[in-house]
Amino acid sequence: MPSLHIILTTSFIITLVILISPVFTSILYKSLNPIWHTHHIKTAVKMAFFTSLLPLFLHVHTGTELTITNLHWMNIMTFDINTSIKLDHLSITFVPIALYVTWAILEFASWYMKSDPNINQFFKFLLIFLIAMVTLVTANNMFQLFIGWEGVGIMSFLLIGWWWARADANTAALQAVLYNRVGDVGLIFALGWMATNLNSWEMQQMFITAKSLDMNAPVIGLILAATGKSAQFGLHPWLPSAMEGPTPVSALLHSSTMVVAGIFLLVRLMPLMQDNPFALTTCLILGALTTLFTTICALTQNDIKKIIAFSTSSQLGLMMVTIGLNQPYLAFLHICTHAFFKAMLFLCSRVIIHALKNEQDIRKMGGLHYLIPTTTSCLTIGSLALMGTPFLAGFFSKDAIIEALNNSYLNAWALALTLLATSLTAAYSLRMIFFVYMNFPRFPALSPINENIKSITNPLKRLAWGTILAGLLMTCAVLPPKPPMLSMPPYIKLTALVITILGLTIALELALFTNKQRPYMPKQYFYFSTMLGYYPTIMHRFFPYTFLKLSQTIASMTIDQTSLEKTGPKTITSLNLSLATTTSNIQKGMNKTFLSLFFTTLMIIILLNYY
Amino acid sequence: MTPIQMTFSTMFLLGLMGLTFHRTHLLSALLCLESMMLSLFLATSLWALQLSTINIATVPMLLLAFSACEASSGLALLVATARTHGSDHMQNLNLLQC
Repeated sequence: MPSLHIILTTSFIITLVILISPVFTSILYKSLNPIWHTHHIKTAVKMAFFTSLLPLFLHVHTGTELTITNLHWMNIMTFDINTSIKLDHLSITFVPIALYVTWAILEFASWYMKSDPNINQFFKFLLIFLIAMVTLVTANNMFQLFIGWEGVGIMSFLLIGWWWARADANTAALQAVLYNRVGDVGLIFALGWMATNLNSWEMQQMFITAKSLDMNAPVIGLILAATGKSAQFGLHPWLPSAMEGPTPVSALLHSSTMVVAGIFLLVRLMPLMQDNPFALTTCLILGALTTLFTTICALTQNDIKKIIAFSTSSQLGLMMVTIGLNQPYLAFLHICTHAFFKAMLFLCSRVIIHALKNEQDIRKMGGLHYLIPTTTSCLTIGSLALMGTPFLAGFFSKDAIIEALNNSYLNAWALALTLLATSLTAAYSLRMIFFVYMNFPRFPALSPINENIKSITNPLKRLAWGTILAGLLMTCAVLPPKPPMLSMPPYIKLTALVITILGLTIALELALFTNKQRPYMPKQYFYFSTMLGYYPTIMHRFFPYTFLKLSQTIASMTIDQTSLEKTGPKTITSLNLSLATTTSNIQKGMNKTFLSLFFTTLMIIILLNYY
Repeated sequence: MTPIQMTFSTMFLLGLMGLTFHRTHLLSALLCLESMMLSLFLATSLWALQLSTINIATVPMLLLAFSACEASSGLALLVATARTHGSDHMQNLNLLQC
């Protein structure tokens, strides 16, 4: 097929133009209909999705990958910065998926935020976020990636704090920005190291020149950046707190697109890391710790959105483990499939919460299966996909990860933690399903339960189709770059399935205990899980208090008292005062005589010099 | 010596004599101090201009800045004297005991 690359380039550029145009038309065009802009943006995203399918099909059919370098932006001596778009397998596959999920979320949001007076601005923020994410994903140089990175961080702040009159929302937005900033330090350090040592921020040049260098320092910076953005352990509390934002924000940012930006960075820059065993081991251990810790925290949460948030965090830990196993393609596959079912879980949870008049506590839900069957069916599909049920979307990625994990020679402790976390994933999913829609209702009788609205069911159905089919399509379409281990004993092959079923049955047993009398159980583990491992309690109180107290000591004691009173102006005053008193007791004070003598002596000495 | 050099040398000498052989007021002594500074400013500026040395070119500005500071501190002393002694007569300044 001739001129293939032109078709790919043009269709991608058209996609970007369709995405960017509503931002400008919102400034230049005013209509009588107050919410015209939401339909405009939703239609734009839908058109952009269909247009971006063309590069995807071309890529799947022929394996074309290309890089578009547009303009030479600036240069500093020998260091060039261009704007270039890299359309390789990762970005061509991710952009349609992100657009599809965003389309579904926008359609849902047009129902959910209908009563909000600033709905146009909300949609515009979501669109700007999407543009920043696309910039990040298609960046061929680190500068453009950094622009997208910061863009998603800022839009996350603005969107989490959407209901800015609520104090919890403001603190959550601030937490998100601060934790992301700590990760950004790592990214900026890596950028600076690469600029000075590898002479370029273009990925192609970086990959070639990095072969012979010791890459420990920048890679640790990149892992720190991923820890901040993708909520790995140590910088994770912002993700559950980010549930203060509206649900479309949670569904788009904090499940599908933004939090995978850190993992995406590592996948994109994998050639720098794959020969560095230190970096791979760090990723492995960090990911394993994250996934187990957040799964434990998710077990005892009572807020349905927090359960899903912790589930996102543990899936991100799983992706980090995959990177530690040197399998970037599997991590990317998990990113794509996870986007579908996680967004669907968030949208289902929002429908349930809205149906029970903003009740988010799962202890007050129940019996919804007969009342909102579509939503609960989608919840079931999403949870099954999350658990890795065979042949749904999550299976192809998660089972491949567990198999690769079992067949590797790496750190056995990390692998054991990940397996434990997988079974606990099934446990908390079952807990959520059990409390939300099994048994009998525990909510008040007069609840506005209604799901007969097209704007709700169509997105859910689309995402459900995506959840069922995406894994299969992606696996059949593209061969994995690294050959997977194909022969292993049956007990290893069935590990993922067995531990998931084990987790399910144990959780079901425990859940059925709720209306029977049970023996006394030790409370310490329960408190550990409910208090999120005491991490927010310690980190958000102890360290700020220490720093503020130290700075108060420095500011008032050191600066004020020491340098102003003891060594500075006041000392000079008191010293001079004592000196002046002593001196004035001796002085006679005959000024005129003194000055005349001064002049006479001066003249004598000057004249003596001449003779 | 050239006429210019004689001018500012004489100005300096006259200012010095005015500072030392004054009559009554502290203010006149301070004024003579200022004229000494002015003559020094003229001298250093002419030095830089006539001998074309770049290195000395900043000295007049520094001198001006410092003489401004010193003039202000002199005026502060004048005000303090007026406050404690009631006038600025130089013969009262032997009553220096604080």
